Amino acid sequence: MEEILRKVYEMTAIADIIADPRFLIMYLLAFVLLYLGIKKEFEPLLLVPIAFGVLIANFPGGGMGVLGADGEGMVHYMKDGVQVAKNVYEMSLPEIAHDLGIMNLIYYALIKSGLLPPIIFMGVGALTDFGPMLRNLKLAIFGAGAQFGIFAVLLVASQFFTLQEAGSLAIIGGADGPTAIFTTLKLAPHLLAPIAIAAYSYMALVPVIIPLVVKLTCSKKELSINMKEQDKLYPSKTEFKNMRALKIIFPIAVTTIVAIIVPDAVSLVGMLMFGNLIKEIGANTSRLFETASNGIMNAATIFLGLSVGATMTVDAFLNFQTLGIVAGGFLAFGFSIFGGILLVKIMNLFSKKKINPLVGATGLSAVPMASRVANDIALKYDPKNHVLNYCMSSNVAGVIGSAVAAGILISFLG
Amino acid sequence: MNLTVILLNVPVAAEQLSNWDMFLEASILMLIGLLTVFAVLTIIILLGNLLIKTVNRFFPEEVKPIVNAVQTIDSNVQEAINKAILTISGGKKAAQKIEKL
Repeated sequence: MEEILRKVYEMTAIADIIADPRFLIMYLLAFVLLYLGIKKEFEPLLLVPIAFGVLIANFPGGGMGVLGADGEGMVHYMKDGVQVAKNVYEMSLPEIAHDLGIMNLIYYALIKSGLLPPIIFMGVGALTDFGPMLRNLKLAIFGAGAQFGIFAVLLVASQFFTLQEAGSLAIIGGADGPTAIFTTLKLAPHLLAPIAIAAYSYMALVPVIIPLVVKLTCSKKELSINMKEQDKLYPSKTEFKNMRALKIIFPIAVTTIVAIIVPDAVSLVGMLMFGNLIKEIGANTSRLFETASNGIMNAATIFLGLSVGATMTVDAFLNFQTLGIVAGGFLAFGFSIFGGILLVKIMNLFSKKKINPLVGATGLSAVPMASRVANDIALKYDPKNHVLNYCMSSNVAGVIGSAVAAGILISFLG
Repeated sequence: MNLTVILLNVPVAAEQLSNWDMFLEASILMLIGLLTVFAVLTIIILLGNLLIKTVNRFFPEEVKPIVNAVQTIDSNVQEAINKAILTISGGKKAAQKIEKL
């Protein structure tokens, strides 16, 4: 009887959890993220799969945690009670599934291969409307100003990390989960877990971070600048005779230009623009649009979220490097918002037509959440000041800007 | 690719870079990166303006003439409206004219 009870006890994960209580910290982290996603509704589509991935990856014996490969691609694991070391890139997919479990299969086939981030970009493109950006083209430049955080943190992090690691950490400032994952996979794949979680967590915290930075850097007078009144005072001479044709030509032209200037950004920008093109063509490609924006996008989000969460195992996550990444990521995010605001302030010094600094703060690529948050802030200062459409211009440009910044980092540091 | 080696001709291997070299390299990358992002978005803005002008000139949307067709109302609907008015007014009032707005 005692023998049976002992075997039952050994079958459970209790003994391993007691032996290494750090697992409890991971459960706590998973519960907090689940709470933020479900109750606080912070990016639930992303945070819930990630949080659940963290939870299921940290049950000893469950085999759902992703095994990180070292610099030479070696993974170390137990097989039939024997320690085995194999080069994961030489293993077949069935072998990975059999030896390492299905979560590793998903991770190595879809994430590590770099497949999902561009696929998600296609879905984002299909859900993006470049109309507000085309109507307020000049405001798109703030999508560049808000990439300041990426390069500022690269500078600081270069003193604590290798340049490749610093680049991966800095890209969190782009506020774009797929871009952060894509860049990290190319530059410092061993940091994927903490960088992905930091990027997505800060994206989820956009409603907290943007108001914080805005409050610290902008005056009430600046935040009360009414963009529609400015448009009436200084009307634009641009007229649009065929918006539909413009929206179809635009993604094709942008892809061509970006591909020539920063070829490393094409996998992201190209897929983004392809997704947008099949949306804008309309009825003739509506089936492709439906699939890209719903079926593929949703499936990709589930696999990405779960497997990124599953990379956060005790050993990969609980270390000082992670703390540095969490702190650095926050700085990158804050500096990016500030970079956009600063650029607006500088332009306001030289221009008669004033711009609300919130338009600069939304140069991040967290679309459309950043714009919605900025609009809410503007309405607090002036209930008639709807800045959403103006913010969407810099916000959408920020998606392109962060993808270009990622391309530059990969090109020079990869 | 080692920026310091390429741009400043510093003859050291990447793993031998001091903190200062790393800072220098990151600074150069910051400059190149920010300039490139600004350049790309500026080009996109200029390209957008060019596209707007081109589309306006060569592909202006055809303006379809508005046809002032007489909008008829189904006889069943007319009858239903008349009956409703008669019922509500107790037979005192009737519809003079029924037309779509």
